[in-house]
Amino acid sequence: MAIIGNKKYQERINEHLAKYPDKRSAVMPLLYIAQEEYGWVNDEGIAEVAQLCDMDATQVKSIAGFYTMYSEKPKGKYWLQVCTDLACALRGADELHHELLHELGIEEGGTTEDGMFTAEHVMCLAGCDRAPMLQCNFHFVEAVGGLTMAHLRELIAAARQDDKTLQKLIAKWRDEVNKQVQQS
Amino acid sequence: MAETKLVTITIDGKAYQVPAGSNLVDAAKWHADNDIPVFCYHPKMAPVGMCRMCVVELGMVEKDRATGEVIMENGQPKVRWMPKLQTACTQVATDGMVVRTDTDKVKAGRESVIEFLLTSHPLDCPICDKGGECPLQNLTMAHGNGVSRMNFADKLKLDKHVPLGDLIYLDEERCIQCARCIRFQDEIVGDDVLAFHERGRRLQIITKSDPGFDTYFSGNTTDICPVGALTTADFRFGARPWELTDVPSICPHDAAGTNISLSTRLDRDFGGRAMIKRVMPRQNEAVNEIWISDRTRFVHHFTRSDDRLQSPMVRRGERLSPTVWNEAIPALAEVLKAANGDVAVLAGGGASNEDLWELRQLLKGLGSERLGAWTTHSGAELLLEVGVGKGSNLGTLGKGDAILVVASDLEEEVPMWYLRVKQAQDRGAFLAVANHRPTRLAEIASQTERKVASQTERKPLVGKSVLYEAGKAAHWLNDLANSDPELYNTLKDAQNLVIIAGAEGLDWDGGRALMQAAANLLIAGGHVGKPNNGLMATLPEANGMGLQYLGYTTQNALDIIKNPPSVLITAQCDPLGDDPTAGSWMSKVNTLITLTLFPDDTTQRAAFALPVQSFAERDGTFINGERRVQRFYTAQGPMGDALPLWEIIARLRERLGQGRAKVSAAAVMLELSNHLPSFNGIRYKDLAQVERQYPDVGGKDLYYGGTAYQNKGGLGVQLPTTADNGSAPTTGTVNLPEVKQAKKGELLLIPTVRLYNRSHIMRPSALIANRVAKPFAALNNADAKKLGIKHGDRVEVRFNGGQATVTAQVSDSTPQGVVFVPRYLADTPTPMVITSASVVKVSDAVAVQ
Repeated sequence: MAIIGNKKYQERINEHLAKYPDKRSAVMPLLYIAQEEYGWVNDEGIAEVAQLCDMDATQVKSIAGFYTMYSEKPKGKYWLQVCTDLACALRGADELHHELLHELGIEEGGTTEDGMFTAEHVMCLAGCDRAPMLQCNFHFVEAVGGLTMAHLRELIAAARQDDKTLQKLIAKWRDEVNKQVQQS
Repeated sequence: MAETKLVTITIDGKAYQVPAGSNLVDAAKWHADNDIPVFCYHPKMAPVGMCRMCVVELGMVEKDRATGEVIMENGQPKVRWMPKLQTACTQVATDGMVVRTDTDKVKAGRESVIEFLLTSHPLDCPICDKGGECPLQNLTMAHGNGVSRMNFADKLKLDKHVPLGDLIYLDEERCIQCARCIRFQDEIVGDDVLAFHERGRRLQIITKSDPGFDTYFSGNTTDICPVGALTTADFRFGARPWELTDVPSICPHDAAGTNISLSTRLDRDFGGRAMIKRVMPRQNEAVNEIWISDRTRFVHHFTRSDDRLQSPMVRRGERLSPTVWNEAIPALAEVLKAANGDVAVLAGGGASNEDLWELRQLLKGLGSERLGAWTTHSGAELLLEVGVGKGSNLGTLGKGDAILVVASDLEEEVPMWYLRVKQAQDRGAFLAVANHRPTRLAEIASQTERKVASQTERKPLVGKSVLYEAGKAAHWLNDLANSDPELYNTLKDAQNLVIIAGAEGLDWDGGRALMQAAANLLIAGGHVGKPNNGLMATLPEANGMGLQYLGYTTQNALDIIKNPPSVLITAQCDPLGDDPTAGSWMSKVNTLITLTLFPDDTTQRAAFALPVQSFAERDGTFINGERRVQRFYTAQGPMGDALPLWEIIARLRERLGQGRAKVSAAAVMLELSNHLPSFNGIRYKDLAQVERQYPDVGGKDLYYGGTAYQNKGGLGVQLPTTADNGSAPTTGTVNLPEVKQAKKGELLLIPTVRLYNRSHIMRPSALIANRVAKPFAALNNADAKKLGIKHGDRVEVRFNGGQATVTAQVSDSTPQGVVFVPRYLADTPTPMVITSASVVKVSDAVAVQ
């Protein structure tokens, strides 16, 4: 595993580096690529980003530490984030959050033993109109009438089957929501 | 600062004239004697306004916009106050500025900041190394509430022993996040290996450096840390600051002459004698500001190492046996009398001026003038003529000025100069670095801008790095006007020009040629006889300059080598350990007398081995590379029967009927300066003069700059050059020597210098000994291929007089046809000067050792 010399990322890395007059400005998008590759921002990723941006690894680590969307601990394949801010809380986000943890059998911020899921609560995700809000690997998951535990069980089952099934399911729910929006 | 415009600012109702643009905290301290409390602000670094401790009420005198006249109100100028408290450290003095530092509002502000900083600060002052000299402790006493409103159970519990490297430990609980250490590494050292991690209450200092945090200046972070968060592995839990007596001293390791304080106490571990517990910087803005290198800080254990020679030894048959001074001195006197004047001295740069004077007088009395300097550098006589002008200060070089560093790896040889040269470039000076191999400073010179991580600005830099053919430093510089007129003119036409010359890859002839070529360039551009212009050399040890002033030269040394005397005295030098070829001429010496700290290779052949005291046990003076005569004081209890070198010789002279022995180093200096006109009649008390220095790290607010010490031991006296005294130096002919060639099938061996090595002085400091590189020889890829050597292989380097088994380091940064062998790394002596050598593979790389 590596991001340097990895064909999968080559184009994106070059694009980010070319975007700024200064290599070091590309540090944040490159950290996302490292996180995508390794599942979290690990020391290898930090060393590679430091090399790409011509910075000291300490400074890259410092940036990764400041922003919460970089994970400095190993994460599951799917990173589920439940918003528990005001709007979502009023629509039962706390219960959803706890039930999700219970369902997965993990503590807050923990990862399932099979390495599939990490779940945690987060601050506002800017989707209050669809509360309670949930994000899977930084992509919104929404459903008509709002997410319920039943949806989440379906989601977990789909993910355990394979990624394609999961993406199809999320897309299906999104289409339903969009259709409803158009009708109203 | 003299030329800057003065402006009027009012502090607590009184008006002061201060330089426009000066930092308000500095201005208040310097001009108004008003100590505005600070934590994050440090006078040597850019302000960041992070800790908020320096809040003041700030206003501006109001002026009529139409007429520009000051508006009066009740007979007083009307002041427009800013609505909130302002951080003084981020303000610069402007005309009409009005500051209040003693109002209730300010007091409340300071109290709140202290309370905030203490919300989770541990109450471990009784076991904290900083306790007793802690800015947080002091400012809490001065400005704090005295009672905590915080719930003890809510206190954060964090790791208290985090090693950032082998040398520096972090206590996460004590850290108040001022970022002084981060900014020091970033702005001053230029190696941003420290940073903050996470945020809010979880903010911590981290490093991802590999190996750990170990720059050559890392110890300074513990001095400027305003709390006990950073401590050194050497001193932590070693003593309490209030038990310590600070004795002014001078770093004995290099030509910078760094001013230090030796913190001592009577210690059980040293038989109840005074013992050095730590080494701290002592402010001397013209020499080292308030910084010291890690070598200066951590290499002091040799002074009380049990390996030291502790009693006079005399050879009886094959063996050296201990004796007492009362027997050794008469025996020595007999030997010297019998020599009939066929006596010579070889002295190293570790001997003080007093030592060198007594030796010189001894020889004079015996009818000899053969005073040899045992050093790698030659041409030092030129430093007396065109050395940097009196009043020079590397800290004031900047835009429009130029510095050339040639034939030296400055970071490894004189780290303090490296730091100051780097900072001069930051201020805008043109930095040229020329060597036959890439060095860290060359890398800095070729950068076009410096990233300062803690600030958004990027400093544009000017400089150039040049690689010349191995060993051809003098050829390169002598021909510079033709080969690179642009660089030549940039240097020549600079407002001020300082040249720092080393001796890497040069023998004594080559070294002298390089010094002459440098002198010619300086003279051509008129860069002599004035401050911030002239020549400096990376003379090894602390008193290389003193050797020259006292008449010890490499020319004489060469004569001693060619015609060995019947009796040779070696004074704090080890020719047999330094140079594998020394044995051939040394064998012609009938009686060898060595004055030494450690039993070394020369001792093994000596008829008499006499133990001398180290710099820490005695008084004396060294002359640094900028010709500053500086005084060091007795700090530590003596080791065994060792005596100051000058005293041994003084007693010997008395025995020989050369007059009564002097009773103090001061008396020796008195005689010395009365006899040598170049010393201008200076006395010990002149060397002890101090004056207030900017920025003021002392004063009422003792720890303004951290724990770096106010200088109470003297700033020293800089000797003028002949050019300073008005005699116009003339350019001389550069006698370019033939560059040494490797024999057929061999490589050109060039000795290099490493800051940390296995010399006798380094070995007893365990912390540093662990950081010494494994013995190696650096080879070029192509040469290695030809010789069938791979990176990491064990190889034997064979040269005239010996061989050394080391590890091969193969890279492209070593020029072809050359093998670099650092001195004092291998177990056996390696060459001191450039020579021809063969490299033979011994065995394959060992995977893990």
